[in-house]
Amino acid sequence: MIVVNTETIPGYHVTSVLGIVQGNVVRAKHMGRDIAASLKNIVGGELKGYTELLTESRRTAIERMLSQAQELQADAIVNVRFSTSAVTQGAAELYVYGTAVKIEPIVQASMVS
Amino acid sequence: MMDMDLVFGLFVVGLPLFMLAFAWAMGVWISNRHEADLAQRELAVARILVHNTGRLQDAVAGPQPPVMITSEVTLGVDHFRGFLGQWKSLFGGQVRSYQMVLDRARREVVMRLLEQTDAMGYNALANLRIDFADISGSALARRKAADISVLASGTAYYVATESSHPKS
Repeated sequence: MIVVNTETIPGYHVTSVLGIVQGNVVRAKHMGRDIAASLKNIVGGELKGYTELLTESRRTAIERMLSQAQELQADAIVNVRFSTSAVTQGAAELYVYGTAVKIEPIVQASMVS
Repeated sequence: MMDMDLVFGLFVVGLPLFMLAFAWAMGVWISNRHEADLAQRELAVARILVHNTGRLQDAVAGPQPPVMITSEVTLGVDHFRGFLGQWKSLFGGQVRSYQMVLDRARREVVMRLLEQTDAMGYNALANLRIDFADISGSALARRKAADISVLASGTAYYVATESSHPKS
Protein backbone atom coordinates (compact mmCIF):
# COMPACT_ATOMS: atom_id res chain seq x y z
CA MET A 1 0.00 0.00 0.00
CA ILE A 2 1.39 3.36 -1.06
CA VAL A 3 0.59 6.11 1.44
CA VAL A 4 1.41 9.72 0.59
CA ASN A 5 0.21 13.12 1.75
CA THR A 6 0.30 14.61 -1.73
CA GLU A 7 -2.51 14.52 -4.28
CA THR A 8 -0.57 12.62 -6.90
CA ILE A 9 1.93 9.77 -6.93
CA PRO A 10 4.79 10.08 -9.42
CA GLY A 11 4.95 7.11 -11.76
CA TYR A 12 1.28 6.21 -11.20
CA HIS A 13 -2.07 7.59 -12.16
CA VAL A 14 -5.28 7.32 -10.21
CA THR A 15 -7.92 5.19 -11.94
CA SER A 16 -10.73 5.45 -9.39
CA VAL A 17 -11.49 7.06 -6.06
CA LEU A 18 -12.91 4.74 -3.42
CA GLY A 19 -13.65 7.25 -0.69
CA ILE A 20 -12.36 8.58 2.61
CA VAL A 21 -10.61 6.22 4.99
CA GLN A 22 -9.81 7.18 8.53
CA GLY A 23 -8.32 6.01 11.78
CA ASN A 24 -8.33 7.50 15.23
CA VAL A 25 -6.98 6.77 18.67
CA VAL A 26 -7.42 8.41 22.04
CA ARG A 27 -4.49 7.88 24.36
CA ALA A 28 -3.87 8.96 27.90
CA LYS A 29 -0.51 9.36 29.52
CA HIS A 30 0.09 7.05 32.44
CA MET A 31 1.10 8.40 35.82
CA GLY A 32 4.68 7.19 35.73
CA ARG A 33 5.31 9.12 32.57
CA ASP A 34 3.50 12.11 33.97
CA ILE A 35 5.71 12.22 37.03
CA ALA A 36 8.90 11.74 35.04
CA ALA A 37 7.82 14.44 32.61
CA SER A 38 6.97 16.91 35.37
CA LEU A 39 10.46 16.47 36.83
CA LYS A 40 12.08 16.95 33.42
CA ASN A 41 9.85 19.94 32.85
CA ILE A 42 11.61 21.91 35.60
CA VAL A 43 14.66 22.30 33.41
CA GLY A 44 13.05 22.02 29.97
CA GLY A 45 14.30 19.86 27.13
CA GLU A 46 12.74 16.95 25.30
CA LEU A 47 10.07 14.96 27.14
CA LYS A 48 10.83 11.59 25.54
CA GLY A 49 7.91 9.78 27.20
CA TYR A 50 5.42 12.07 25.50
CA THR A 51 7.23 11.90 22.17
CA GLU A 52 6.98 8.09 22.28
CA LEU A 53 3.32 8.33 23.24
CA LEU A 54 2.65 10.41 20.14
CA THR A 55 4.68 8.10 17.91
CA GLU A 56 2.77 5.04 19.13
CA SER A 57 -0.59 6.79 18.83
CA ARG A 58 0.18 7.90 15.31
CA ARG A 59 1.25 4.40 14.31
CA THR A 60 -1.98 2.90 15.72
CA ALA A 61 -4.14 5.49 13.94
CA ILE A 62 -2.35 4.85 10.63
CA GLU A 63 -2.78 1.09 11.04
CA ARG A 64 -6.51 1.53 11.54
CA MET A 65 -6.70 3.68 8.44
CA LEU A 66 -4.73 1.07 6.47
CA SER A 67 -7.06 -1.74 7.51
CA GLN A 68 -10.04 0.29 6.28
CA ALA A 69 -8.28 0.84 2.98
CA GLN A 70 -7.56 -2.86 2.68
CA GLU A 71 -11.26 -3.64 3.16
CA LEU A 72 -11.99 -1.36 0.20
CA GLN A 73 -9.22 -3.15 -1.74
CA ALA A 74 -7.43 0.13 -2.35
CA ASP A 75 -3.92 0.29 -3.84
CA ALA A 76 -2.95 3.59 -2.26
CA ILE A 77 -4.05 6.36 0.08
CA VAL A 78 -3.44 9.92 -1.07
CA ASN A 79 -3.71 13.32 0.59
CA VAL A 80 -3.34 12.01 4.13
CA ARG A 81 -3.93 14.58 6.88
CA PHE A 82 -3.52 14.46 10.66
CA SER A 83 -5.33 16.35 13.34
CA THR A 84 -5.22 16.26 17.09
CA SER A 85 -7.60 17.40 19.78
CA ALA A 86 -7.47 17.40 23.55
CA VAL A 87 -10.54 15.47 24.63
CA THR A 88 -10.10 15.93 28.36
CA GLN A 89 -7.20 16.86 30.55
CA GLY A 90 -4.48 14.26 30.08
CA ALA A 91 -6.03 12.50 27.07
CA ALA A 92 -5.57 13.42 23.45
CA GLU A 93 -7.14 12.22 20.24
CA LEU A 94 -5.05 11.64 17.15
CA TYR A 95 -7.07 11.44 13.96
CA VAL A 96 -5.74 10.56 10.52
CA TYR A 97 -7.70 10.56 7.27
CA GLY A 98 -7.03 10.23 3.57
CA THR A 99 -8.53 9.22 0.25
CA ALA A 100 -8.35 5.57 -0.78
CA VAL A 101 -7.71 5.18 -4.51
CA LYS A 102 -6.98 2.59 -7.16
CA ILE A 103 -3.81 3.28 -9.14
CA GLU A 104 -1.99 2.00 -12.21
CA PRO A 105 1.66 2.48 -13.09
CA ILE A 106 2.31 4.84 -16.00
CA VAL A 107 3.79 2.66 -18.76
CA GLN A 108 5.87 4.97 -20.93
CA ALA A 109 8.71 6.94 -19.33
CA SER A 110 7.19 10.39 -19.76
CA MET A 111 8.40 11.52 -16.35
CA VAL A 112 11.63 13.19 -17.48
CA SER A 113 11.21 16.93 -17.20
CA MET B 1 14.58 31.39 68.57
CA MET B 2 15.33 34.37 66.33
CA ASP B 3 17.94 32.35 64.56
CA MET B 4 15.47 29.58 63.78
CA ASP B 5 12.99 32.09 62.34
CA LEU B 6 15.74 33.61 60.22
CA VAL B 7 16.82 30.22 58.91
CA PHE B 8 13.23 29.25 58.19
CA GLY B 9 12.59 32.59 56.46
CA LEU B 10 15.69 32.21 54.31
CA PHE B 11 14.59 28.69 53.44
CA VAL B 12 11.07 29.77 52.43
CA VAL B 13 12.36 32.62 50.25
CA GLY B 14 15.53 30.91 49.16
CA LEU B 15 14.20 27.58 47.93
CA PRO B 16 11.93 28.95 45.18
CA LEU B 17 14.69 31.36 44.15
CA PHE B 18 17.18 28.51 44.06
CA MET B 19 14.78 26.38 42.00
CA LEU B 20 14.28 29.23 39.52
CA ALA B 21 18.03 29.80 39.25
CA PHE B 22 18.63 26.07 38.77
CA ALA B 23 15.89 25.86 36.12
CA TRP B 24 17.31 28.90 34.37
CA ALA B 25 20.88 27.56 34.28
CA MET B 26 19.84 24.07 33.15
CA GLY B 27 17.35 25.52 30.66
CA VAL B 28 20.01 27.68 29.02
CA TRP B 29 22.46 24.78 28.92
CA ILE B 30 19.93 22.37 27.40
CA SER B 31 18.72 24.82 24.76
CA ASN B 32 22.25 25.86 23.76
CA ARG B 33 23.29 22.23 23.42
CA HIS B 34 20.18 21.47 21.38
CA GLU B 35 20.80 24.40 19.03
CA ALA B 36 24.42 23.40 18.46
CA ASP B 37 23.27 19.84 17.75
CA LEU B 38 20.65 21.05 15.25
CA ALA B 39 23.15 23.26 13.42
CA GLN B 40 25.41 20.26 12.95
CA ARG B 41 22.66 17.92 11.77
CA GLU B 42 21.25 20.50 9.36
CA LEU B 43 24.49 20.37 7.37
CA ALA B 44 24.15 16.62 6.85
CA VAL B 45 20.68 16.86 5.28
CA ALA B 46 21.12 20.17 3.42
CA ARG B 47 21.15 18.36 0.05
CA ILE B 48 17.55 17.16 0.46
CA LEU B 49 15.01 19.20 -1.48
CA VAL B 50 12.15 20.12 0.84
CA HIS B 51 9.00 22.11 0.06
CA ASN B 52 5.40 22.31 1.16
CA THR B 53 3.60 22.20 -2.16
CA GLY B 54 1.42 19.23 -3.09
CA ARG B 55 2.98 18.86 -6.52
CA LEU B 56 5.93 16.48 -6.62
CA GLN B 57 8.27 18.80 -8.47
CA ASP B 58 10.92 17.27 -10.75
CA ALA B 59 9.86 13.81 -9.65
CA VAL B 60 11.51 10.79 -11.24
CA ALA B 61 10.59 7.16 -10.78
CA GLY B 62 12.98 5.59 -8.28
CA PRO B 63 13.56 2.10 -6.89
CA GLN B 64 10.72 2.58 -4.38
CA PRO B 65 7.38 4.40 -4.70
CA PRO B 66 6.96 7.66 -2.76
CA VAL B 67 6.01 7.21 0.86
CA MET B 68 4.54 9.32 3.62
CA ILE B 69 6.75 9.81 6.65
CA THR B 70 5.95 11.35 10.00
CA SER B 71 7.82 12.56 13.05
CA GLU B 72 6.96 14.11 16.37
CA VAL B 73 8.65 15.73 19.33
CA THR B 74 7.58 17.06 22.73
CA LEU B 75 9.63 19.77 24.39
CA GLY B 76 9.11 21.10 27.88
CA VAL B 77 9.44 24.76 28.73
CA ASP B 78 11.68 25.13 31.79
CA HIS B 79 10.13 26.66 34.87
CA PHE B 80 12.17 29.85 34.66
CA ARG B 81 10.88 30.57 31.16
CA GLY B 82 7.40 29.50 32.20
CA PHE B 83 7.60 31.96 35.08
CA LEU B 84 8.79 34.71 32.73
CA GLY B 85 5.97 33.88 30.34
CA GLN B 86 3.34 34.21 33.05
CA TRP B 87 4.86 37.46 34.22
CA LYS B 88 4.86 38.77 30.67
CA SER B 89 1.19 37.91 30.21
CA LEU B 90 0.33 40.56 32.80
CA PHE B 91 1.57 43.27 30.44
CA GLY B 92 1.14 41.64 27.04
CA GLY B 93 3.69 41.74 24.27
CA GLN B 94 6.01 39.20 22.74
CA VAL B 95 6.96 36.23 24.87
CA ARG B 96 10.42 35.59 23.46
CA SER B 97 11.22 32.71 25.78
CA TYR B 98 8.28 30.71 24.36
CA GLN B 99 9.07 31.72 20.79
CA MET B 100 12.54 30.26 21.10
CA VAL B 101 11.25 26.93 22.43
CA LEU B 102 8.62 26.69 19.67
CA ASP B 103 11.29 27.45 17.11
CA ARG B 104 13.56 24.69 18.43
CA ALA B 105 10.68 22.20 18.50
CA ARG B 106 9.86 22.93 14.85
CA ARG B 107 13.48 22.67 13.77
CA GLU B 108 13.86 19.36 15.61
CA VAL B 109 10.73 17.82 14.11
CA VAL B 110 11.64 18.83 10.54
CA MET B 111 15.17 17.56 11.14
CA ARG B 112 13.83 14.13 12.17
CA LEU B 113 11.71 14.04 9.03
CA LEU B 114 14.71 14.88 6.83
CA GLU B 115 16.89 12.32 8.59
CA GLN B 116 14.26 9.64 7.93
CA THR B 117 14.04 10.74 4.28
CA ASP B 118 17.80 10.40 4.00
CA ALA B 119 17.97 7.07 5.84
CA MET B 120 15.33 5.55 3.55
CA GLY B 121 17.30 6.58 0.47
CA TYR B 122 15.02 9.34 -0.84
CA ASN B 123 16.36 12.76 -1.77
CA ALA B 124 13.30 15.01 -1.66
CA LEU B 125 10.37 15.75 0.62
CA ALA B 126 7.09 17.23 -0.62
CA ASN B 127 4.08 18.64 1.17
CA LEU B 128 5.74 19.29 4.50
CA ARG B 129 3.07 19.88 7.17
CA ILE B 130 3.64 21.00 10.73
CA ASP B 131 0.95 20.69 13.39
CA PHE B 132 0.72 21.26 17.11
CA ALA B 133 -0.84 18.84 19.55
CA ASP B 134 -2.15 19.92 22.92
CA ILE B 135 -1.47 16.71 24.81
CA SER B 136 -1.36 18.25 28.26
CA GLY B 137 -4.89 19.59 27.89
CA SER B 138 -4.72 23.38 27.78
CA ALA B 139 -1.65 23.89 29.93
CA LEU B 140 -2.05 27.65 29.73
CA ALA B 141 -5.43 27.48 31.45
CA ARG B 142 -3.86 25.54 34.31
CA ARG B 143 -1.18 28.20 34.84
CA LYS B 144 1.83 25.95 34.41
CA ALA B 145 4.65 25.78 31.95
CA ALA B 146 3.42 24.31 28.68
CA ASP B 147 4.58 21.13 26.98
CA ILE B 148 5.03 21.82 23.31
CA SER B 149 4.21 18.88 21.04
CA VAL B 150 4.87 19.28 17.35
CA LEU B 151 3.88 16.77 14.67
CA ALA B 152 5.23 16.86 11.13
CA SER B 153 4.46 14.84 8.03
CA GLY B 154 5.55 14.83 4.42
CA THR B 155 5.96 12.66 1.34
CA ALA B 156 9.44 11.40 0.50
CA TYR B 157 10.22 10.92 -3.21
CA TYR B 158 13.03 11.05 -5.74
CA VAL B 159 14.24 13.99 -7.80
CA ALA B 160 16.79 13.88 -10.60
CA THR B 161 20.01 14.91 -8.87
CA GLU B 162 21.25 17.25 -11.63
CA SER B 163 17.85 18.99 -11.97
CA SER B 164 17.08 22.50 -10.77
CA HIS B 165 18.43 21.89 -7.28
CA PRO B 166 21.22 24.38 -6.61
CA LYS B 167 22.59 22.86 -3.38
CA SER B 168 23.65 19.44 -4.66
